[in-house]
Amino acid sequence: MQNKPLLEVKNLKKYFPIYQGFIRKKVGDVKAVDNISFNLYEGETLSLVGESGCGKSTTGRTILRLLEPTSGEVYYKGKDVFNASKKEMLELRRDMQIIFQDPYSSLNPRMSVGATVGEALVQHKMYKKGKELDDRIREIVKICGLADYHINRYPHEFSGGQRQRIGIARALALNPSFIVADEPVSALDVSIQAQIINLLMELQEKMKLSYLFISHDLSVVKHISDRVGVMYLGSLVELADKKDLYDDPKHPYTQALLSAIPIPDPTVKKERILLRGDIPSPANPPKGCKFHTRCPYAKDICKQQVPEFRNLGTDGSNHFVACHFAK
Amino acid sequence: MSKHLLEVKDLRTYFYTDKGVVKAVDGVNFHVDEGKTLCIVGESGCGKSITSMSVMRLIQEPGKIESGQILYQGNDLLDLSDEEMRNIRGNEISMIFQEPMTSLNPVFTIGYQIMETLMLHQKLSKKDAKKKAIEMLQLVQIPRAEKIVDEYPHQLSGGMRQRVMIAMALACMPKVLIADEPTTALDVTIQAQILNLMNDLKQRLNTAIMLITHDLGVVAEMADYVVVMYAGKVVEEGPVKELFANPKHPYTIGLLNSKPNLKEDKDRLDSIPGMVPNPTDLPKGCYFWPRCKYATDLCKQRQPELKKVDSNHQVSCFVASGEVESSAK
Repeated sequence: MQNKPLLEVKNLKKYFPIYQGFIRKKVGDVKAVDNISFNLYEGETLSLVGESGCGKSTTGRTILRLLEPTSGEVYYKGKDVFNASKKEMLELRRDMQIIFQDPYSSLNPRMSVGATVGEALVQHKMYKKGKELDDRIREIVKICGLADYHINRYPHEFSGGQRQRIGIARALALNPSFIVADEPVSALDVSIQAQIINLLMELQEKMKLSYLFISHDLSVVKHISDRVGVMYLGSLVELADKKDLYDDPKHPYTQALLSAIPIPDPTVKKERILLRGDIPSPANPPKGCKFHTRCPYAKDICKQQVPEFRNLGTDGSNHFVACHFAK
Repeated sequence: MSKHLLEVKDLRTYFYTDKGVVKAVDGVNFHVDEGKTLCIVGESGCGKSITSMSVMRLIQEPGKIESGQILYQGNDLLDLSDEEMRNIRGNEISMIFQEPMTSLNPVFTIGYQIMETLMLHQKLSKKDAKKKAIEMLQLVQIPRAEKIVDEYPHQLSGGMRQRVMIAMALACMPKVLIADEPTTALDVTIQAQILNLMNDLKQRLNTAIMLITHDLGVVAEMADYVVVMYAGKVVEEGPVKELFANPKHPYTIGLLNSKPNLKEDKDRLDSIPGMVPNPTDLPKGCYFWPRCKYATDLCKQRQPELKKVDSNHQVSCFVASGEVESSAK
């Protein structure tokens, strides 16, 4: 693949402290993101999948410094994101944008579409208010599949799918090269989902975007990604090219996750790996391999030793798995 | 023809709003048989949830069941008094709601909430009811049932709460179980557990299930018979295998194609253009024509009716039933 990564994430950790009692004594941490590392290359879509509470959204937000990291390093185009000054950060933000999950709450109800999309352009002093700005807004809005007359309208006048288009337009206004898409289609109906996914893929081609795509829907992820990372309780358990991951999942959690998806074909009756129980609390994750409490193959070693994130790929491909027994 | 356990005939539920009348359910027919699962599929706002609420007679102002019949074992539920209806609800027909987080009462224990229906409908004593509640919790595979019974909803995870909902719904061994998007709020691995549980219970207790969902994967897995709804009307219905193998209505075809598939790779998803029409301002003719690539002049003027294309497969589309030729391919 390409040599130079656009984004390098190294040993990223994000803990949320838990305070208790009258003097607000710190009693522990919710380990939302616990030591994860990956690279993202130019023009590719890397997806993070996992169930709710696995830390995928926190990862996306921490990379953009919307949340301050506990430790770890992130390099974007070689620049250290976590140690950037305020001024440098402003420049970086121009290049790194985010699309949020909920199109209903992520737009300011008092701002028209034009104001929402144009705000960042003015803030970053790329345009002054006036005709040029209006032209730019019109251009962006059109790319995202909205019409000119939508510009003066307010979010409540739009349907979910259209609102998500506004969110995308806002992210694209600054002409970024990297976008974190945090569950951009989960709140939408299937027929609208397809429209938005198609739009995201078209834009990627047209504007040479790189996506960090965060989702819990494995069929959407399969459609949109180049590489996929599977997260469980704050850690990456498997990271591989899409094809390798779906054809030959190596981690028992990935296998269970894939077998749990209902397939829209009534003639297929497949064997399903049913996981017992729920995800343990990230405030008190199990020792050793975090998955051992639900893993059908767990042995004694899994309860004690944290498995290494090993590369099991053959002939030059990368297929990282964190499991003692994966082959 | 065998007698149906639950039969809905020409059901119309309208909402009288300031902006006009919303025909949320507009002439819907279907039936559910013992030990079978009927799935109602559609996107948000198509009237699938209102249909299930109508069956339970839970429609509130400004909504009203305008006309139609809901026959349960041959008796029309709409003719019953409120009190008679209360004896049916939770006892003969019960319901699982979409959000396990908000449909449990936070100030009562799990056990009390399950016991309530048992004491009311089956006149069990408190002690017996509690015993039965623990049994029910074990039936839905909740570990440490004796302890959980005294806990409050906030102490449980989403999957556990949904299981409690199912336990509650099944406590009186209802003949019909209505499940309104029971797994939408849950993660896939938990969804797999819940669906498995429902299928298991259906086989063991011979319950008829009416499952409301928007997820075609869930439909394929659970349904015996499928009803597809769009803007308050049934656009297509048929046995699950027939419908997935041979979908006729352009909307059903669009829905099936717009879902990314794990088995095959496509460059682009086929999406349905446009969006669901505003329910107070529905287009003339077939409600789907503005989004349909096969639309003909006839579609814009007259509303199609459900026509048989096969012994058990009905579709409401002029083009699909061969009444008119479409120029588009």
